[in-house]
Amino acid sequence: MFSRHVDRRTVLLGATSLAAAAAVPTPALAKGSVTAAIYPGTWDEAYRSIVAPALKKAKDVDLALEPLFAVDQIAKAQAARGAPPFDAFVLDPGPRALAIERGLFEKFDASKLSNAAKLPAGFADAHGVAVNTQIVGIAYNPKKVPTPKSWKDLFGEPYVSRLGLTGFQTTFGTLSLIEIAKAYGGSETNVEPAFVEVKKALPKVAAVMAPAALPGLFQQGQIDICYTNTNNVASLKARGVDIDFAFPEEGAITFITTLHIAKGAENVENAYAYIDTALSADVQAQLMKPPSSMIPTNKDVVLAELPIKSLDELSKMRTHDWSKINPLRAGWIERFNKEVSK
Amino acid sequence: MASVAATGSAEAKASMAPRRDGVEWPLAGPLGLAYTAFFAAPLLLLFAISFYDDSDLTRITGSQWVKFFSDPFYLSVIGRTLQLGAVTVLATTVLSFPLALVFCASRPSVQKLLLLIIIMPLLTSVVVRTFAWIVILAREGVINQAILTLGLSATPLPLLQTEFGLVLALTQIEMPLMLLPLITVMRAIDPNVVDASRALGASRWRTFFQVILPLSLPGWVAGATLVFASSVTAFISQSVIGGGRLVFLPSVIWQQSMVVYNWPFAAVAAVTLLVTVLTGICLLAALSVRLAGR
Repeated sequence: MFSRHVDRRTVLLGATSLAAAAAVPTPALAKGSVTAAIYPGTWDEAYRSIVAPALKKAKDVDLALEPLFAVDQIAKAQAARGAPPFDAFVLDPGPRALAIERGLFEKFDASKLSNAAKLPAGFADAHGVAVNTQIVGIAYNPKKVPTPKSWKDLFGEPYVSRLGLTGFQTTFGTLSLIEIAKAYGGSETNVEPAFVEVKKALPKVAAVMAPAALPGLFQQGQIDICYTNTNNVASLKARGVDIDFAFPEEGAITFITTLHIAKGAENVENAYAYIDTALSADVQAQLMKPPSSMIPTNKDVVLAELPIKSLDELSKMRTHDWSKINPLRAGWIERFNKEVSK
Repeated sequence: MASVAATGSAEAKASMAPRRDGVEWPLAGPLGLAYTAFFAAPLLLLFAISFYDDSDLTRITGSQWVKFFSDPFYLSVIGRTLQLGAVTVLATTVLSFPLALVFCASRPSVQKLLLLIIIMPLLTSVVVRTFAWIVILAREGVINQAILTLGLSATPLPLLQTEFGLVLALTQIEMPLMLLPLITVMRAIDPNVVDASRALGASRWRTFFQVILPLSLPGWVAGATLVFASSVTAFISQSVIGGGRLVFLPSVIWQQSMVVYNWPFAAVAAVTLLVTVLTGICLLAALSVRLAGR
């Protein structure tokens, strides 16, 4: 019979064998591995199903994806002090500027990438490389309202009473409010005119929403117009929602999502292999299809089902300097809360 | 009493822990350790972070506390958060008592069916329940379509993104937490007491208010505690159904920690939320102690 008692020796034995099991390295199944931080949700799903198999096939490298929001990536890399828990970052321009400020990236050498030459100018630098383009403009329901022409249209009838406002929490919200401010005489660092318009519009707007609620509210007809990125428009359209994307005449907004190698990364070479794979035309063409609907950065990809015909159009769009925006953003978020709060 | 304890203390000491009330305290060891490591320690850390001055955690000044509590906006956020909890408790209470009475008066077979219906909301994820409420409350949602078809109003009513809509949704979502403890306690009430009240000439209402209600209060206190704690922290429902114009403490915490990177300020808001919830719970617990003492 087994003894009912679990004595100290048994426990120690069990604990030791567990520790031993952890210490024994798992047999190398591939040439190596790379751990990459990735945004939870769409990005995670798309990279898991498209990039990981492609990397395994092309370079025999196993891709481990760690779903983390931008703030978590920065916090973890900073807390690890030189021994980051992942090899590669994925970041929007705001957090990217913050990470550069805090010295969290390994110096990036784009010449190690076979796909570097296929990117538009300025898409690769000493910090990292652009893997995805986002375009921000106006989303509207073509069955309910006519096509809007400018940012100013949002604040007049028939649009304002169907408008869904979001604040500065998201990249697209921040940039749209900056462009709205500019349309009313403000600038990248002066969003006061946007606050004035938002405050005037408040009694009329259909919703002031959490960004996460945007798809649901649009689908249910609570709102018929809002500022957002093309990804949101594409994913709603794929679900049969009446939604179209309009370019404001002042110029739509574009920004890039970039990949970076973490300072002190364990698998630098494999990280380059991962980034090169994510940039390859074949992979980006797959990522371009719904539901991920990512706008590629590789010029070899033939654009389809996207609101732009060629990547050259991006050069005419508005871009922003996040090293100026970041220091002001916390104040804007607080101000927005206070202005819209009932 | 004291002398008895003193004389027996020497020999009792050696074996006291296991022998007293026959409880094997070491059994709670693993959970206790897990709580210390994964709950108490992070909580202390959270408390410590709240006293830092800047997001890089370099200076300790407590300035974020001053900023939070000297700003009328954040004080109103605390007030609104507390109010949301209180109103939700009130709404679930008003709806739960009749249902609990019906439940207790039903035959066992009907009770089983009712119990399934009551538990049903708990079996669906909070995200699904919340988005279901968007479908119901939206401009083109079920309620508004019914109102427009019946001609009760010419334009759709604003239901989503209002305090009313949020309380309505939270009431449905939190209802089981009120009903289950209430039913448990009500079923334990001796039916003879109710019969006696009626036999002695008390009306149905008087019997309810003077007999059933006081006897079921311990269940209500338990339910109210759960509903209060759960509704003031219901981040998803608050942000999706309440919208940006209704700012509650959980959304302040999320914005400050995930978007602004101001962890000390987020920690202040988090500790405030914790204290707010604990205050509500303590008030309810004090109430139950007073009731028990009666």
